[in-house]
Amino acid sequence: MTDTQYPNTMTDRQLTPISELTYTQAISELEAILQTMQSDKCDIDKLTLLTRRATELITFCRARLTATDEELRAILADLQ
Amino acid sequence: MDRNYLSVTALGSIISARLTDPSLRNVWVAGELSDVRISGGHCYMELADKDKATGRVSARIRGAIWANVFARLAAKFGHATGRQIATGLKVMVCGTVSYHPAFGITFVITDIDPSYTMGEVERRRREILEQLQKDGVLEMNRSLPWNTPTLRVAVISAPGAAGYGDFINQLYSNHLRLRFTVRLFAATMQGDRTVPSVMAALTEIAADVDSWDCVVLIRGGGATTDLLSFDDYSLASAVAQFPVPVIVGIGHERDITVLDYVAAIRVKTPTAAAEYLISKGTECLDRLKRLGADILSCSNDMIAGCRTRLAYCEGALPSIALNSVTAARQHIDRGVLSLATLGSRRIMPQLTHIEAVGRAIATAANATVARRFEDLESKSLILNVLSPVSTLKRGYTITRINGHAVTSAEDIPLGASIITSFADGEITSTVTKTPKS
Repeated sequence: MTDTQYPNTMTDRQLTPISELTYTQAISELEAILQTMQSDKCDIDKLTLLTRRATELITFCRARLTATDEELRAILADLQ
Repeated sequence: MDRNYLSVTALGSIISARLTDPSLRNVWVAGELSDVRISGGHCYMELADKDKATGRVSARIRGAIWANVFARLAAKFGHATGRQIATGLKVMVCGTVSYHPAFGITFVITDIDPSYTMGEVERRRREILEQLQKDGVLEMNRSLPWNTPTLRVAVISAPGAAGYGDFINQLYSNHLRLRFTVRLFAATMQGDRTVPSVMAALTEIAADVDSWDCVVLIRGGGATTDLLSFDDYSLASAVAQFPVPVIVGIGHERDITVLDYVAAIRVKTPTAAAEYLISKGTECLDRLKRLGADILSCSNDMIAGCRTRLAYCEGALPSIALNSVTAARQHIDRGVLSLATLGSRRIMPQLTHIEAVGRAIATAANATVARRFEDLESKSLILNVLSPVSTLKRGYTITRINGHAVTSAEDIPLGASIITSFADGEITSTVTKTPKS
């Protein structure tokens, strides 16, 4: 995203599906969302959309960073 | 027993006399330092040779650096090597063997050669580093950007080594449950096979480098001499130019190899390598947490702001309506008031004027009437004076002939019948005499 402002004309349709993002892209998008929300230009109608997208991105990033219990057990089992 | 013997003093004197031999004066000696201690500004130590195989001391001699020399030598040594004169160091010192009756033989040191301590190994290390610098690759691995997050880790280690176990245990016991992906690229980590086997592992990782965020090269302890294998130009060059950051944890604090200079990160132990990766992951999670918290507080702020605005509008709405009605009413009142003011201001002078005129007219009329009245009265007075009746009353009479008053005797003919009017009646007379007759 070259523009620091999150696209004003943004709709769900135009967003890249989160599963196709890299971690770095997801973090960049989160920062862009935050910047938009912090600016005066953000309007309340977009708030739900932005917050939902941000939540999805955070969930995605967290999942990329951390493993579930089962995954951990599987990894440790492989090691032994 | 009648045997010749010497007192200790006498023996000492003999030794002392022998020590004047030039081969014991200002001689350079190399050995390892032990029991180094500083007391009263003087430095005392043992100089020793150790058996290479067993590590046992095979020869030793007491040494000392007197305070007047020690300060200078310590500074010289520290400046050149970056270290203090301490136990464990191999040194080359210049001194003289001296004997003191009370303390025995001491090697009194007057000079030290730091370059010896820096040693062959270190010299070679520097040569390699200089060559890497000339090649322009020395900083390459250290300048690489890190992938975020750094979770896919290619490990080069000896399989089953304690160091590798420590690394894995540390990495996976992180309470954040960071999702690391680790694969071991087995290599021999000591002896002659070290360089080719580590190089082979690096080549294998490089073939699929996009799958990895970093390389971790670890070794679990071992003898210091083993590290010499890692001071290799081709291996250092390969690590320096490796396309992802390399973390090196092959020795402890003191055991620095060339790899420690070229790798992106140098850690003391395999455990520390794991901790470094965990801290990088923690940074990512913290950043995510901060972003989440910021976004939450932003949307909360925005909603709160909108709520406040809405509440203000709701609160203001009834009073706005009332206020407009009141304002309109006041406007009308003001109009009426100004109209009234306007009326009185314009009409009152007119009314006053009219009243004044009316009064003036009345006054004028009365005056006229009064004047006429006076006039009439005066005229009536005159009339009374002049009226025939009053004349008659005073004794005058009116003489008429044929109804016409006669004022001259001449006008009366003789024999005419005249009527004389008195105040109280008339008489008729016949003229019997006239002035003409």
